[in-house]
Amino acid sequence: MAITHEMAAGMGGIRTAGDLVARMQMTKGMKIKEAKEYVAAKVGVSTFDLCDEAVMKEVREQLDIGHVQARVGASIGMEAKFNIARVLDMKIKAVENFKRKTGM
Amino acid sequence: MSDIFTRYGDGSPTRMSKEDIRFDLEEGTQDAADRGKIPALTEAELDRLFEICTMPEKAVTVERGDEVIVSFDAGTLKLPVRAGVPMDRSAAILTHERAFCSDTMELGHVDYSYKQLKAIIHEECQAMEHIQLNTIIPVFYGAMPNLGLYTKPDGPIENWSELLPLAKIDEAKAAQEEAMEHAVKDIVYVASRMYESGADGINFDTVGASGDADVLATLKAAEILKEKYPDIAIEFGMAGEFVLGMHGELYYDGTRLAGLYPHQQVKMAEKAGAAIFGAVINTNSSMSFAWNIARAVTFVKACTEAASIPVHVNVGMGVGAIPVTNTPPVDAVSRADKALVEIGKADGL
Amino acid sequence: MSLEDIIAEARETILQCDQARAVAVAERAVAQGFDPVQVLSEGFSYGIRQMGDLFGRGEVFLPQLILSSEVMKSAVAILDAAIQGGTPQAKAKMVIATVEGDVHDIGKGIVVSLLKTQGIEVYDLGRDVPTVKIIEKALEVEADIIGTSALLTTTLMGQKKLEDELRKNGLRDRFKTMVGGAPATQRWADRIGADAYAEDAAEAVTKALALLGK
Repeated sequence: MAITHEMAAGMGGIRTAGDLVARMQMTKGMKIKEAKEYVAAKVGVSTFDLCDEAVMKEVREQLDIGHVQARVGASIGMEAKFNIARVLDMKIKAVENFKRKTGM
Repeated sequence: MSDIFTRYGDGSPTRMSKEDIRFDLEEGTQDAADRGKIPALTEAELDRLFEICTMPEKAVTVERGDEVIVSFDAGTLKLPVRAGVPMDRSAAILTHERAFCSDTMELGHVDYSYKQLKAIIHEECQAMEHIQLNTIIPVFYGAMPNLGLYTKPDGPIENWSELLPLAKIDEAKAAQEEAMEHAVKDIVYVASRMYESGADGINFDTVGASGDADVLATLKAAEILKEKYPDIAIEFGMAGEFVLGMHGELYYDGTRLAGLYPHQQVKMAEKAGAAIFGAVINTNSSMSFAWNIARAVTFVKACTEAASIPVHVNVGMGVGAIPVTNTPPVDAVSRADKALVEIGKADGL
Repeated sequence: MSLEDIIAEARETILQCDQARAVAVAERAVAQGFDPVQVLSEGFSYGIRQMGDLFGRGEVFLPQLILSSEVMKSAVAILDAAIQGGTPQAKAKMVIATVEGDVHDIGKGIVVSLLKTQGIEVYDLGRDVPTVKIIEKALEVEADIIGTSALLTTTLMGQKKLEDELRKNGLRDRFKTMVGGAPATQRWADRIGADAYAEDAAEAVTKALALLGK
């Protein structure tokens, strides 16, 4: 079911920009159009390209916000989330917790 | 002539004529319009829905640019529990992130009710903290308000499901009101701990499963949480297409909760501070897919038009026109998704 | 008052949960010599089915539905006495349960309430009930009908198990069987060999009465 939904209508998660758009819906209550426009402006692509694997691979690698393919030295997990919070100009609770715990 | 392959709401395959499919689409939208007192789909929308229902492809997809967010309830119950894959919950979430490419995911315990989680909250917090270190996608923590668990024999309160058939109506109402107080405390406690442990959002799943008191308890809990943590992201996923009036006299912000349909429910969720509303439209297992999808799209369209927050339509087994079967067929699932997004204007699934 | 007026008022008393008026209407019907069966089926029973439909649409709520079924019981007591001419008549019996492994019983509770309004003696075994217990109880009370409910696709097979066990033990012809619950359909009932399927509480009443030949 998860795969069918993602194939039929999903944005593609970290393969594209699904996680980023989801964060704007969750934290700002933005509807899909507004959330896509916000993210597109922040990462510098069109809303149409937010679901394009080729375009978003480059964008994600350039911004170092995590991607499905493992790459030596690339940010993963919490590291990627630090960068996402900065790129999207938002607070991520787990990132804030990390900073507090490590005295950053 | 019976020439279009389609299904019934229980997943059974069948063939229907184009005329019968069109007829069921019209009947389905009318049923939703009558029940919800909302506009039926227009002729143009029914034409598009007819095209989606009759496309010869096995799987269909939304048009490029129309993609939406997919969120999950019972997230980590799916791979390690229901599918029996021997993996822990963090592996399940990473599988969703890196293999399924899910947009979000949900951490949940196999005992999926807020009441039950109090005793194991430390382990759940630890799991969330660990998962947050490794994941990139937003991770919700989710469970059900499940007011029924506060009644005997599972809890301390008289069971209103037993009192009502005995016509002990006042006692049944009082029991529900008492259960609400316990539920609000438990939901706030568990959700607070999970949010403080780094959850990106809190999912209230199957809200209203025990009726209108279940809904009111969750709305009150959401209100408290939002006041306590202004940045908290709350998803409010419903149990059914209308709020079941087990009590019947419960109000939120001056509105009676019993009998509210999705376009009215969403306004309550918004007032309580929800960021995402999970609309539910029940699938009728006896009726055709065409009837069910026309009905679901009609309700969803009214809901998204009324909503100021994103609406993620529940498209699990037995809701959102998805057949009531453990292995919902791809043809029906993908058509439901396409129709709900393109015509219903869903913001997510 | 004409028969039509009596029938219309009987329906109204159920929809308005007006016990005093329902009793008065039933008494008037008997006093005026109208057919009590007709007043019951076209008046009060019709009203209770309408309440069931309204409940299924979220337009009335469970306490009202229960209240209307209590109103119905008062009227039925008066009309029953007239039908039987004072002679006690054996009530039809039904054993009902949510199948093993399934703890959902809100819908079943509503079905039980409405069935009782029709003078059916209902033995509600609750939820998560093993097949063997259902059969034992049906034999013990000499039930006419066994009704089972299942909300989950995973527990739906419990309804088939009941049919299989009844057949295996040579008991299938002793009872009529009814199935219900979200994943159940008429197709499912046909496939497993159940005698009836009901989509909701109102239909359960109609189907049960049909099985009893009423």
